[in-house]
Parts: sequence; structure tokens; C-alpha cells
Amino acid sequence: MTFILDSGYAFWNPLIWIIVFIVVMLIVYFFRRRGQKGYKKDTEQAQIFLCGEEVPEAEERHIRVGNIYWGFFETLKEYYNVILKPHTGIINDYILWFVVATAISAITLLIAGLVK
Amino acid sequence: LASLITQSPILIIAIPLAAAFLTPFIGMVSQKARNTLVIVSLTFVVFLVFALARDISINGIHVYTLGATAPDLAIPGGFIVPVRIILEVDGMSVFFSIIWSIVSLAAAIYSLSHIASETGQNRFYTLLLLMVTGGFGLMFTGDLFNLFVFLEIASISGAALIAYRTKFADTQEGGFKYLVVSAIASLMVLFAIGLLYAQYNALNIAYLAQVIQYTTLDKIALALFLIAFTMKTGMVPLHLWFPDSYSVAPASITGMLVITSHACMYAAFRICFTLYGGVIDAPVVGWIIIVFGLLTMFVGVTMAVYQKDVMRFMSYHAVSQLGYMWIGVGVGLAVLGNADLIATYGREAMSGGIFHILNHAMYKPLLFFTGGALFHYTGTRDLTKMGGLAHKMKWTTILYMIGTLSISGIPPLNGFSSKILIYESVYQFHPILTITGIIVSILTLASFTKAFHSAFMGAELPEYKGGREVPRSMIIGMVILAAGIVFITLFPSLVLDRAIHPAADALLNQGAYINAVMGAIP
Repeated sequence: MTFILDSGYAFWNPLIWIIVFIVVMLIVYFFRRRGQKGYKKDTEQAQIFLCGEEVPEAEERHIRVGNIYWGFFETLKEYYNVILKPHTGIINDYILWFVVATAISAITLLIAGLVK
Repeated sequence: LASLITQSPILIIAIPLAAAFLTPFIGMVSQKARNTLVIVSLTFVVFLVFALARDISINGIHVYTLGATAPDLAIPGGFIVPVRIILEVDGMSVFFSIIWSIVSLAAAIYSLSHIASETGQNRFYTLLLLMVTGGFGLMFTGDLFNLFVFLEIASISGAALIAYRTKFADTQEGGFKYLVVSAIASLMVLFAIGLLYAQYNALNIAYLAQVIQYTTLDKIALALFLIAFTMKTGMVPLHLWFPDSYSVAPASITGMLVITSHACMYAAFRICFTLYGGVIDAPVVGWIIIVFGLLTMFVGVTMAVYQKDVMRFMSYHAVSQLGYMWIGVGVGLAVLGNADLIATYGREAMSGGIFHILNHAMYKPLLFFTGGALFHYTGTRDLTKMGGLAHKMKWTTILYMIGTLSISGIPPLNGFSSKILIYESVYQFHPILTITGIIVSILTLASFTKAFHSAFMGAELPEYKGGREVPRSMIIGMVILAAGIVFITLFPSLVLDRAIHPAADALLNQGAYINAVMGAIP
């Protein structure tokens, strides 16, 4: 039984990655152990400091899914306008796509046969 | 044990079928006994599937003829064609049945707690076991008509299971859509079977593969088969129903629906490589699959990034990942007639695609199960309403991370192993396939990071304080799949040598499939 995956072009050993990952975790743990000794959990030390401003409540602080990747969607607005259109939620439309795809596939196979 | 292995193809189908009919009766007496029956029967089936897989790896294709004096007597005396119902199990069938058996067991265990508060549990488990029966039958059958019958069993039970939670309106809509799509796909399959039967007067796949001429009617039948099965797998642009149905089912059933897609993919492979393998216009069909596969990958992932419903988000990712498999196997099909190209990269591309099916069958149901766990805890699928759940759902968080890293192809997880095989091999066919694959992988990681941050990270929200991690059986269901991921991660070459390459070779070796039933080709 071997850990090595030979793809025919290169080889791949997950064990090496796991060993590296464990070593990195150990190094991180080592530095963490050498951190501030005076830290006390659940005291004022653990409070959020926001330049002296009042810290919002947890639900106001949380960045919700709608706000993530805003720039990505704004840039690709035109793509999404096109791609969202067929997603009508109407089963009749879905079946129409099925009919069209079947017809195109059948015609392609028949024409390819004639060309041959 | 030898007798058990000989009878195993029919037992693997019959045991869940018998359990399905027993379940409502036992359920009336004791719920505990019913649950035990479901789990024990599925566990025994897992054992039988592995025993059969071992036997096939040693002795080759396993033929089981129903009603014959000996199970391997495929053609009765005085006949020149096989007329009985035949089960034919090769490396490909048994590979898919391994996936099917493991995920079925995990889904059943997960369901014990997941649907514990629902009514009609007897019906739920009956339908679940019928679905399992349909899947195994689809993979083992050696004739086209029974392929249609088992497809129907899996589809109808699947539709009923999607609509199981009748208190939600969207489940009824999702179930209805699945039923309509499945019915039309099944009718197209039946029509295609009719076209072949009208010409060749037979339904046995091995016999048909030997005599098929690739006439105009055969080509129309091939188009019908292909589109029907690809629609059932959710290939773009036939994926539109997919998130509508998959996102509303109980999470355990969504996991099962994912592997139902794989079962339909198996049927498409069987039709292209085995039934039509000797006559097919491989480059044309291969390119059709590759182009649609590319669209599936890209449209699936870009639609997934856009979603705010956790289950719709995961459904679109399921669509996207199926594109990788189509591309891998599509490249193998495109070069099918060229032995040199098959040896150079075709076989590895197919192996990569098939390997990705196995990986997908582990991480995708796992991710759907974590989505179900989020719903169980919060009572919503809306990611905008979630946050800080890692504080209370530690197990779910870890299991979600395993699934996320795997689906995104991050080393050293198993998703990377299959993706690297696909990337390296399809690059030689056309570099654009690899480039698209890598872009899709990046977008996959980005979108899962977004969902992870939305649901799990941040301060604990007041509405979710005081909750508890999901029940143990749901955790066990998820852990079974995560264990599968870890195993494949650690031993990729073992899986490749023992399961993936035999499955790919079974597809490429059409003659062996025919010979197992028909004897030597005259």
C-alpha cells in the first residue's frame, strides 16, 4: 500500500502535505505558547477596541452574505443579467430547453453521419 | 460465502426491496425495530457490494440470469439471443454500486435524527429503500427495459421524498418539478428503447451492442438517451430544475439525489461506451459532451456564488462539479477510436472523471448534510440570517471545512487527486479545458469561503444563543462520509488501482461485456 499517486506525468504524495501541515501547526502552537501571559479570558481585556468608538452589537457587526463579493457581482452585472434570465422557475420553460437540446443533438449526430 | 457471492447481484437488489415492504409493518409495531431493520439491511448490502467487488476484481464480469438453472446461463438452450432478465456486473457497475451503498447507509443514519420530528416516517424509509433498490437495479441490469424500470423506481421514490415534508409549500413544487422532468426523461428513454427494439427485436445490452448498425434511427435513439440522462444529471442548460428540487428535499435525500445523478451518468456511459461503443461517432459525441461539460462547470459555479440560500448554493455547486466528470469522460470518448491517444491521455482523462465521481459522492452529500444541520439548528436556509454558528456547531463546522477543502481541490484532500488527473490529461486534448477547470476551482473556493464566513464566522448572534449541536446520528452520517474523504486522501493510488482503473477499463473494453453474455464474438 503506497501513499503516492502517479498521474503519468507527475507524482503526488498527500502524506508530505500532511506532515508539512502538522509541522506548521506545531510552529504556530509554539509561538502562541510564548504569547502574552497576562491575558485573561472573559475580562475587559477581551473586549473589542474600536478607536474609542462604541462597538456595535454582534448582529450589526456581522458581514452578511449579501455584502460579500459586491464588486465581483457589480463587474459581472451584464453576465448575470443574461444568465439569470432562463432561471424562470417555470417547468414549461425547462421542458422547452429539453426539447431544444434533444433536437440539436439529434440533428448534429445526423449531419455528422451524412458528412462522414 | 461462495454461494452468497454468486447470488449477490440479485440479493443486493432484493434485500432493500424486501426491507422496503417490511418497513411499514414493522414500523407500526416499533419505530426502533424499523430503524434497526433499515440500518442492518443497508449495512449488509454494503458488505455484499464489497464482497462482489472483490470477486469481480479476481474473476471478472459477474453474470446473473434470473430463472435459469445456473445463474451464469445467459442464453437458454435452443436460443441464439438472451431472452431472460440478466444482471451483468462489471468493474464500472460495481464501482458505482460501492458509492451508492455507502452514501445510502450514511443517508439512512443521518435521517434517524434529521426527520425524527416529522410524521409519516414509515413511508419515508419505505421510499428511501425503494430508491436504493432502483439505483442498484439501474447499475446491475443487463437489459434496456429493466434499465427503464429501475430508473422509474428511483425517480418516483425520489420525487415523493423531495415532497416528503408537506408542511412546506416549496417542497411540493420541488417534488412536482422532479416528477415532471423524470417522467419526460423516462419517456424519452422508453421511446429510444422502442426504436432499438423495433429494429433488432431484442433488449439485452450485450446482444444489441453486437448487432447495432448505427442507422438513422439508432442516432435518434442515442440523442434521446443522451439528453434524457444528461437532463437527469443536471447538465447545463438542462439543469434549471435541479436547484429547485434538490434544495427543498430533506438533506439526507439531497445526498441521495446527488448519487442518483451519478447513477444516470453511469447509464449515459453504459449507452455511449458499451451499447454504441463499436459504432459511435466518438469525436462528435465526445465534443458534444465536452462543450456541455464546460458550460456546466462554469455556469454552475457562477450561479452558486450568487446564491443566498444554503441548499440552492450547494445544488449549483453539485451542477458545477458534474462538469468535471463529463469533461474527463468526454475526452476519453472523443478519442475512443484512437488506441494511441487512449493510451497517451484518454484513459487517464476517463480515470480522472470517474475518480471525481467517487470524490464528489463523498464530499457533496457531506456538504448537503452540513446544510441540513444548519437548517436543523437555525430553522432557515437563508444565509443572510445566519452567523457565528461555529461557536455552537463545532462538529458541523469541522465537517463543513473538510467538505469545502475537498470540493475546492485543495491539497492534500481527495478532490485535488482527481482534479490533478483531469487537468493533466485533458490539457493534452485542449488546454482551454484545464484553464476553465482551474478557474472554476478558484471560484468554488471563493464561494464556499463566502458561505463559511456568512454562516459560521463572526460573533455569536443573539437569536442562536443557547442552541445545541445537531444530534449524534446526524454527526455519524456526516462522519462516515468524512472518513471516506480521509481514506481516499491518504490512499489515492490504492483507490485508483483497485476501483478507478478497473471501472475505466470496463468502459473501454466493450468486447468483454459482450462476451460475458454472448460468448466469443463470431
